Amino acid sequence: MKFEELKIESEKENTWCPGCGNFGLLNSVKKAVKKLEKEGIKREQLLISAGIGCHGKIFDYLNLSGLYSIHGREVSTIQGMKFANPNLKVLAFGGDGDAYGEGLAHLIYAARRNADVTMIVHNNENYALTTGQKSPTSNKGFKGPSTPEGNVDEPINPLKLMLSSGAGFVSRGYSGKMQHLIDLIVEAVKHEGFSLVDVLQPCVTFYDTYEIYNKLVEIMEEPAETREKAMKLTDEEERLPIGVFYKEEMPIFNEKAYPELNPVMDRLDKKERSKRIKEIIDNRR
Amino acid sequence: MDDVFTYIIGGKAGEGVKKAGAAAANLFSDLGGKTFKMDDYQSLIRGGHNFSVVSTSIDDIYSHYMEADLIVNLDDRSYQLHKDHIADNGLMIYNSGDTKDGEGIGLPINNIAKKYSKSDLIKGVTGIGVLSSVIGLDIDELENLIKKEYSKGVEENISYAKEIYELAEEKIDKEFTFEKLENNSPIFSGNESLSLGASAAGLDIYIGYPMTPASSILHFFASHKNDLQVMSIHPENEISVANMAVGATMPGGRVMVGSSGGGLALMEETISLAGMTESPVLFVLGSRPGPSTGVPTYTEQADLNFAINQGHGEFPLIVASPGSIEEAFYLAGEMLNLVWKYQTPGIFLTEKHLCESSMNIDIDPSEIEWVEPKMFEGEGDYNRYENTEDGISKLKFPPSKKLIKWNSYEHDEMGYTTEDPEKIKDMHDKRRRKNETLIFDLKERNTVNEFGKGEHVIFTFGSTTMSVREALKFDGIDAKIVQPVYMKPFPTWELEKYKDEGVIVVEQNSTGQFAKLLREKCRIKPKTVIRKYDGRAFEPQELAKEIKEAIR
Repeated sequence: MKFEELKIESEKENTWCPGCGNFGLLNSVKKAVKKLEKEGIKREQLLISAGIGCHGKIFDYLNLSGLYSIHGREVSTIQGMKFANPNLKVLAFGGDGDAYGEGLAHLIYAARRNADVTMIVHNNENYALTTGQKSPTSNKGFKGPSTPEGNVDEPINPLKLMLSSGAGFVSRGYSGKMQHLIDLIVEAVKHEGFSLVDVLQPCVTFYDTYEIYNKLVEIMEEPAETREKAMKLTDEEERLPIGVFYKEEMPIFNEKAYPELNPVMDRLDKKERSKRIKEIIDNRR
Repeated sequence: MDDVFTYIIGGKAGEGVKKAGAAAANLFSDLGGKTFKMDDYQSLIRGGHNFSVVSTSIDDIYSHYMEADLIVNLDDRSYQLHKDHIADNGLMIYNSGDTKDGEGIGLPINNIAKKYSKSDLIKGVTGIGVLSSVIGLDIDELENLIKKEYSKGVEENISYAKEIYELAEEKIDKEFTFEKLENNSPIFSGNESLSLGASAAGLDIYIGYPMTPASSILHFFASHKNDLQVMSIHPENEISVANMAVGATMPGGRVMVGSSGGGLALMEETISLAGMTESPVLFVLGSRPGPSTGVPTYTEQADLNFAINQGHGEFPLIVASPGSIEEAFYLAGEMLNLVWKYQTPGIFLTEKHLCESSMNIDIDPSEIEWVEPKMFEGEGDYNRYENTEDGISKLKFPPSKKLIKWNSYEHDEMGYTTEDPEKIKDMHDKRRRKNETLIFDLKERNTVNEFGKGEHVIFTFGSTTMSVREALKFDGIDAKIVQPVYMKPFPTWELEKYKDEGVIVVEQNSTGQFAKLLREKCRIKPKTVIRKYDGRAFEPQELAKEIKEAIR
C-alpha cells in the first residue's frame, strides 16, 4: 500500500495501559505528521526509529517507514540513515531509559556533532515495560522493584545536559497538552540540526504524574535568549516550563563533514569507481 | 634463504623507524624485487623499541625473515635485541654514541643527528643512507629517494642522508649486489588492500572507532575521501559505529565497519540486530592478542571462535578470512557483495600480521563484481520480510511511497512486531532457508585455497597462511597447504576428502581453535598442532623446522 492510501495510525492492537501518557504522544505525532505533510515534508521521505520499552510500541502503531532499533541505539540508527541519504528526514522515539541511560553517549554526541535528527523522549521517569524500576530521571527516593527502599541516585536533568552538549534545539512538551506538543514536534522536525523533545509522559500504572504535571506545567511563549538562561530554566521546580527552551541555527554534520556528498544518491558507478581505484594502485607503482 | 635479502632497522618510537622501513621496502620494489615488510612496534608514542623488517627476493615472498643481512640499530637496545639476528655474512650497524664495543660498524649517529632540528626523528634516515651506500646507489639516486619518500623536512633529510652515505662509503667496504628486474606490482598493506577491495564492490560508507590494528582503515578512507568518495565516520564508540551502520543500510548505503576483538565485542549486540533486521553490514575484525586489552600492537588468531559464534539468537552469519594481502582485496569485495545478496551480517576475520604488514600485490578492481541486491520493483503491496522460497526478501529503499518496516523484534512479513507462534516459526524458517541458499551459493565459489602438491597435508588459515607458504620454500618439506577461506558457513563439502586423515595444523593461538573446528566439522584428525601465541608472527625458517619435525 502507498502512503496516500494509508492512515497514519496502523491497525495494530494498541496495548498501552488505558490512560497512558503515550496516547497523547501518539495522537500528537499523527497530527504533527499531517501538518508536516502540508508544509512539504512528505511521509515518504520521513524515517522513524524507536528504542525498546513501552514507548517503542509507537513504531508498530504508526504507518511510517523505519527501523525498530534496540535499547538506547535509536539515535545512532537514525544518524546512520541520515549519513547514507541526507535528503531524508529522520525521527527517533526513545524512552528515558533508552535516551538518558543505555544510549546517553549517543545522544550527547548526536547533539555535539549537530546531526540533523530529531529525538522524541517519552519521559515517564521509570522503566514501565519491565515493571516499574527506577530510570535515569526518577527522583531520589523513588521506590521500584529494584530499589524497594528508595532510589539513591540523583535524577538526570536531560535538558541541561543537552544544552551543555551544544544541542541547537532543546524543548519539553507534555502529553497532556496535545496542541502544544503537536507544534513542538513540527518545529523540532523542521529544525535543521539536532533537536530534542523531552515529553513529560505520565505512567498511570507505575508512576502517575498527571496531577502534579497538570498543576505545575506552564507554557513558555518564547525560547530563552541564551543557552545560560535556558539552563537556569531547566532548574525550576516551582513550575514546569514547557516549550522550546533554546534554539540556535548551526551548521549540520553532513554539511560540515561532507558538504557535497550524498553517498547513496551520488554513488559513483562501477566504471568510475574502478578507474579511481586503478589510479591509486598506479600511483604506488 | 639464500636468495632473500633482509634489512632490519630498529630504534625508539619517535625516531622514524617505520618510515625508514617503508622507504626501504619501496626501494627494493623499485629495484624489481618482491618485498614483504613487517612493522614490530609497541603501544607507546615515544621510547621503547620499534623495528621494521623488510625481506626482498626475486621470487614471490610471503613473509619477513628475522635472519638479516643488514641491521641498522639506532640505539643500544636495538643492538642488544638484534645482535643474534645477523646472518653469517651480514652487516651490523650500531650507534657508536650509544653502544660501546659493538660488533660490526659503529656510526656516530647521535653526533650527526644533533645538528638537525628534528634530532630524534631524523635518525631513521640513517637506514636509508647506509642502505643506499651498500647497495651501490649513487648520491643523486639517494637524493631522489628521499624526495620521493619524505614529504616533510626534505632538505634536512637529504643533508643528513648524504652525511650518513658518505660516512658509510668511507667506513664500510661491504657491498650487496642486486639484480635489477622489472617489477611493476605495487606495495600495499593488508588494511589498504581490503579497503580498496570493498571500494571496488561499491562501498559507500566506512565507520570506525580507532583500535589497533584496524585504525588505519579509517585513516585510509579519510585520506581518500576526494578520490574514492567513500564517506568515513569516527563516532563516539563501537556501539554507535555498528548501529549507524545498520541504520545506513536501510536507505541502501553499502557500509563496512572495523575494529579489533574488544571493539567487536561491543558491536555484538548489533550483529544480532543486523541478523534480525536482515541488515547487510560487513564487519572487519583485525585480531590482536587477547583476552581483554591483551597486547595491542601484536598478532594472534584467538578470535576464530569469537567470530564464528557472534550474536545471540540464530541467524545467517558469513565469516571469512584472507590468506594473503592480495586475497584481502578480492575477499573484501566478495564479502560486501555476499552480505548484500543475503541481507545478513558478515565478518571479515583477519589479524594484525595481515592488516599492518605490506607486500607487492597484483590487484585489479575490474575483477571484482558489484552485486545489486534483489530489489522490489512491482506495483503491489511491499512486504519487507516476504516469506520466499530461498529466504531472501526483496529490498526497497526509502524514500519510497511504499511502507518499509525493518524490525529488531520478531516480525510478520510486513515488518510489524509479532508474538504469534506460527509467524515466529515462519521467520526462523525463512532465515534458515536463506542460510541454505547461501551455502548453495558458496559451493559454487572458491572457499578453500590449496597450495603445493606434497604428500603431507598442512591446514592453516588467515595471515598464518603467508608464513606457511614461505616456510614451504625450504628443502625437505613434501607437503601441501589447505587453507579454508570461509569459516562460516564452513566449507565441509570441500574438505570431506580429508576425513579421518591425520594432518598438521598451524595456527596462532594457544588452544588450537582451528584444529578443533576441523575435527568438529569435518572429522579431520590433526596429528600435530603447531601453535604460536607470543604475539609474533611465525618466522619462516623456524616454522620450517617445526613442520619438518612434525612430518618426521
